[in-house]
Amino acid sequence: MTGERRVSWKVLAVGGALLIPLLVVLGYGFFMDPHAMPSPLVEKEAPGFDLARYDTGERIALADLAGKPVVLNFWATWCMTCRYEHPLLVQAERLYGDRVQFVGIAYQDKFEEIDRWLKKHGGSTYPTVVDVGGKTSIAYGIYAVPETFFITAEGVIQYKQTGAIDGATLERELERLL
Amino acid sequence: MIALIGRLLVLAALGAAAAGAVVGITAGRTRSEAALRWSRRLVYAFSAALIGANLLMEYALLTKEYGVSYVAQVGGNAVPTHIAIVSLWSSLEGSILFWGLVLGAYCAAFAWRTRGRFTDVMPWTLAVIHLVAIFFAFLIAGPANPFLDTPAPIPTDGPGPNALLQNHALMIVHPPMLYLGYVGMTVPFAMGVGALIEGRLGAAWMKATRTWMLAPWGFLSVGIVLGGWWAYEVLGWGGYWAWDPVENASFLPWLTATAFLHAAMLRERRGILKGWTIVLLVATFALTILGTFMTRSGVFNSVHSFTQSAIGPTFLVFLAIVLIASTVLLALRVHLLEGEGEIRSAASRESMFVLNNLLFVAFTFTVLVGTVFPLLAEAVRGVKVSVGGPFFNRMSVPIGVAIVFLMGVGPALPWGRAEKQELVDALSVPVGVGLLLTGLGAALGVRSPWPAITLFAGGFAGAVALRDMAVPVRVLMAKGRGLGDAVASAFRRGRRRYGGQIVHLGIAIIAVAIAVSQSYQLSEETVLREGEAVTVGDWTVRYRGTHEEVTPNRRSTIATFGVERDGAEVGTLEPRMNVFRGSMQPIGTPGVRSTATQDLYLSVMNIDSEAGVVGLRAFVNPLVYWIWIGMFIIAGGCLVAAWPARSTAARQASA
Repeated sequence: MTGERRVSWKVLAVGGALLIPLLVVLGYGFFMDPHAMPSPLVEKEAPGFDLARYDTGERIALADLAGKPVVLNFWATWCMTCRYEHPLLVQAERLYGDRVQFVGIAYQDKFEEIDRWLKKHGGSTYPTVVDVGGKTSIAYGIYAVPETFFITAEGVIQYKQTGAIDGATLERELERLL
Repeated sequence: MIALIGRLLVLAALGAAAAGAVVGITAGRTRSEAALRWSRRLVYAFSAALIGANLLMEYALLTKEYGVSYVAQVGGNAVPTHIAIVSLWSSLEGSILFWGLVLGAYCAAFAWRTRGRFTDVMPWTLAVIHLVAIFFAFLIAGPANPFLDTPAPIPTDGPGPNALLQNHALMIVHPPMLYLGYVGMTVPFAMGVGALIEGRLGAAWMKATRTWMLAPWGFLSVGIVLGGWWAYEVLGWGGYWAWDPVENASFLPWLTATAFLHAAMLRERRGILKGWTIVLLVATFALTILGTFMTRSGVFNSVHSFTQSAIGPTFLVFLAIVLIASTVLLALRVHLLEGEGEIRSAASRESMFVLNNLLFVAFTFTVLVGTVFPLLAEAVRGVKVSVGGPFFNRMSVPIGVAIVFLMGVGPALPWGRAEKQELVDALSVPVGVGLLLTGLGAALGVRSPWPAITLFAGGFAGAVALRDMAVPVRVLMAKGRGLGDAVASAFRRGRRRYGGQIVHLGIAIIAVAIAVSQSYQLSEETVLREGEAVTVGDWTVRYRGTHEEVTPNRRSTIATFGVERDGAEVGTLEPRMNVFRGSMQPIGTPGVRSTATQDLYLSVMNIDSEAGVVGLRAFVNPLVYWIWIGMFIIAGGCLVAAWPARSTAARQASA
């Protein structure tokens, strides 16, 4: 290295003014989830539905479930992450099923596929209905499955989970429902 | 066992880089020749270890060695061999390993080609290379290690690589091209910082730096266009560029690298802008790191980005170190790089280069601000915003058109000072060509201002490029040489100039193609039953039916359309929906029929084969094909300019 020490404050000032905000903003990005999409439905009344079970054909309507909190899980047999959350939901239903009604809604799916999928993945302890025509999915603003709605006994949406749910969130929201 | 050997190889690379950094810094401080020799050897050692690690991973992928974590993640028994080979870069860990391979290869080639030369600047340059190598070796050894042991029980089959990779051949070549571009920027960066630490930026070193920038620049250019081509052929929305953060991430370093290629010529010819060229080298390298950060950190919402991963913070720390260290170094050393020359006239090639650099910097800022703004808005105001195409288009069209126009003005002007008559002579014919092209466009329906201006600028710049290539040939022919001989001779003497002008021609073509295809796209969205037809532009598309195609790896639903142009049957197109094994989402493949003037582009939104109904989007995209042609022209120009000049030098020496 040659030459005397001479600092260019101009370079430092311009560099700092440009780079420090950039680095701060990028760092801040770690504390946010770019994929989070706040749902306008939260704290609103849950849209009603009246759909048939894929297996027995028995109809389930949200109105009939009033008085009991509901966990509404939109899923599909062609959805990869639904496989991960399925056992969690079944387990949660075993623990909370006496106080909370779990309902699965199959999204863009076929009856025989649902049957095959559920048999393959250890069955289900709660009913799954089929959203024929997709009206309910539209009413709930389904963007991609899985999405899970927690509906209070009064029929108000308390929380919406986009993507597969994890055990901690599931437990937290179930406790809030009760 | 393979996983263990892989880990050891990666650790060996890390060790070589760490030792190399110590030896390299020693070489810089003491000017010890022995230390410089060892520093160079350790570059080779780093490179060899990573080449070995990559070969080992390929072996593991091909032999379905599921005991290696990365193979368990992307391998699969049904995966065909060529896909197994390229699945090396199909997922995060493998792509970082591949990055290491490219880095090793570039650095070893650089160390080899510069042996015995530039002994003043080389010690620090190699030290910087080792420091960068430490970071990537650390990434591979730690946060993104592909050679972990798969926890027992070891599976007997895997999910296969990302379905998008398997879906189209362009996805096989696009990522490595981008990596060759991104990673290659390390060498010119190290050369710039090495010169900065040494406090000496000679013309020969600058020329060498420019040459080492040319190859990665060419790869990056091709990689960017291939990315657009892939999006066009696969994503099915009828376009090729959406100003998505990940696309911008590849475009940003391209802008600063292009600015550097021009600024470096000023340094070479006039001895000015020395500090500025270093700033551009640092910015280019930092933007490649920022780009990788954008793709891998999960901080940006993009269709292309890998999912959230642990390496984001590591990249951010590295980016911060690079930027802060370079800024401090620059502040301490920039006074040693004072310019020797000056710009004497505004009507000169050098002043056009300065203007060109200003425009490129403005472009870079525009794209950077637009890309980072959603993060900024959320941090400051807590709102979610997305900066879409309209912002980028409004800002980038004028800047881009100005750059294309300057691309013509610059080479038309002489170095030094242009006389008035000289200006008129130099510019009149190209201006005529530009006007002619604009008139032709207007006759064909291009009447809105920006596309028309782009036609003019593109025609003008293209004409200058062609004339610049023709003039030396004409001069030689006037001396009585034959055409073939004159071309070959002119080419040999001015390869750099020819390469540059060929690239300019490619850019002019792409600019015109983008302007026209963006402004004059026709589209039709409809639902068709079997036998029904829809008309877009000159084309009529009739739905004939659907069939299924099943291979071990995917199931495709294929819709067949009969295509008529101006009433005459010209063939069929078969857009399809593919579902890959181990994947949930169907991936559409549009059907594209390309002609020289326009593409017919069919994309199916949904297929109901039982009801015999298909949802179809049909586009007519004018001139899109010329974007890909422009890419090949640019690649050819880079080859001409960057091809090692030994044969020419040898011939001249023996003559």
